[in-house]
Amino acid sequence: MAEDVVFTPVRQLAEGIRARRLSPVALTETFLDRLERLGPRYNAVVTVTRDRAIEQARRAEAEIAAGRYRGPLHGIPYGAKDLLATSGGIPTTWGAAPFKDRCFDFDATAILKLEAAGAVLCAKLAMVELAGGMGYRQPNAAFTGPGVNPWNREAWSGGSSSGSGSAVAAGLVPFAIGSETWGSILSPAGNCGLAGLRPTYGRVSRHGAMALCWTLDKLGPLALTADDCGLVLEAIAGRDAADPTTVDRAYRYDAGAPAGRRFRFGVLRGITDGCEDAVRENFARSLEVLRGLGTVEEVALPDLPYDDVTRTILFAEAASAFEDLIESGAIAGLTAPEDHYTPYARDAILAKDYVKALRLRSVMARAADRVLAPLDALVAPGRATVAAMLGAEVRSAIRGTARDVMGAVGNGAGLPAVAVPNGFGARGLPTSLQLMGRAWEENTVLAAARAYQSATDWHRRHPADP
Amino acid sequence: MSDADAVRAEVDTLLALVRERYGSRMDAEQLAGVRTSIEAIVQASRALRAVRLTNADEPAQPFAAYRAEP
Repeated sequence: MAEDVVFTPVRQLAEGIRARRLSPVALTETFLDRLERLGPRYNAVVTVTRDRAIEQARRAEAEIAAGRYRGPLHGIPYGAKDLLATSGGIPTTWGAAPFKDRCFDFDATAILKLEAAGAVLCAKLAMVELAGGMGYRQPNAAFTGPGVNPWNREAWSGGSSSGSGSAVAAGLVPFAIGSETWGSILSPAGNCGLAGLRPTYGRVSRHGAMALCWTLDKLGPLALTADDCGLVLEAIAGRDAADPTTVDRAYRYDAGAPAGRRFRFGVLRGITDGCEDAVRENFARSLEVLRGLGTVEEVALPDLPYDDVTRTILFAEAASAFEDLIESGAIAGLTAPEDHYTPYARDAILAKDYVKALRLRSVMARAADRVLAPLDALVAPGRATVAAMLGAEVRSAIRGTARDVMGAVGNGAGLPAVAVPNGFGARGLPTSLQLMGRAWEENTVLAAARAYQSATDWHRRHPADP
Repeated sequence: MSDADAVRAEVDTLLALVRERYGSRMDAEQLAGVRTSIEAIVQASRALRAVRLTNADEPAQPFAAYRAEP
């Protein structure tokens, strides 16, 4: 199959498959070839799941030929961040050298749901070791090497879903699943010029996903468009008895928002303080576009230590989740030197302070909801900077070397957000716009993001193959 | 005691705990890195403690009573 299917959104691929103009097997072969040929150039891939992919693609092709079309993901190739358990002898490494040969005998719920939707698992994708929970300060923090940005191969693809970002941006898969505890979907999406959706906490089952922080971890898609993110979310959302934090709220992606819908956007006062010039300028241009789609008003959150709340919860839960690895000293086997000792400091978090953070989290969630209630979305730059260079230290709100109120509030309160590309900055690297909504309002933020993408063409630009 | 001295004393105490548990695995440079991390933890905890809550402000938590169904 010609490579003109590469960089085609899922929705259009699905139309081709449904009409039987596109063969799932041929489509899968095209992306498997790109994963095997180009994946190593980006350090994007841990395992190409060729056998499983071909089997799933053949099944999809036969079902569709027999008139049993399952829906828009039927026959569509994808990749999964390598913290989702997969059966059949496919390793699940968590990006960490101590686990590079470890296999599970079951599939994560998200993997099973995508299989039920007919999607084709083509690769387990690289990630920052243990999803970055040990306090890494540099891109080279995975046994697969630093995630390489397809827009500039001297730059990082972002973390911690680094392979999910670079693989979609490089056209190695049409979409990927990532995870976010604090920034790990929005960061690689922004760095790589993609759409990335962080769902509401509890929307998508975490069963079979590596636990970094039980009360912060979310799974979500990275794709070429916000519309594609909605298609994927519908497939992976839903109550799961194996994950008691999932809720019994059915999710149907609503792609049919009426044309001409007017949105009400809010911008936090001072949200561009500390941003790079290009990020600030591109955000200002985005606001002009958004004013054409509705209204934009300045809003404020009450003065609370948002970053400290979310950071304290993250550090305390990560220290507990990886207690064995830390206390045994096995963290010395991780790639980033700072990951060998930084987690020891987490023993200094007192139980009372963790509980205080959980109490403040409730206050924070109510405060955020009060601000968001009259709005369709809070908007902000997706990241304060373009992607770091591969040899540079990474600025991180998690470590306190950058501020990220949107990330602290959004993740701490479990709110949905979507990032979409909104221009380019230094060194030819993408910048992004994020739109964050009230809990369970994925359809609203996706509708706003779709409207933004209808008025811009940043998502139609793609990097050249190396 | 000044505020800075109070912070330093708290950091020293917590660092002594970490050194007691893991000190044999770290060199001086790594221990200095841990100290920096503990300083951030102490500053964060002080920011959390500075916010006054009422007795009714409960933690956000997922706990639910459990009973196995037959």
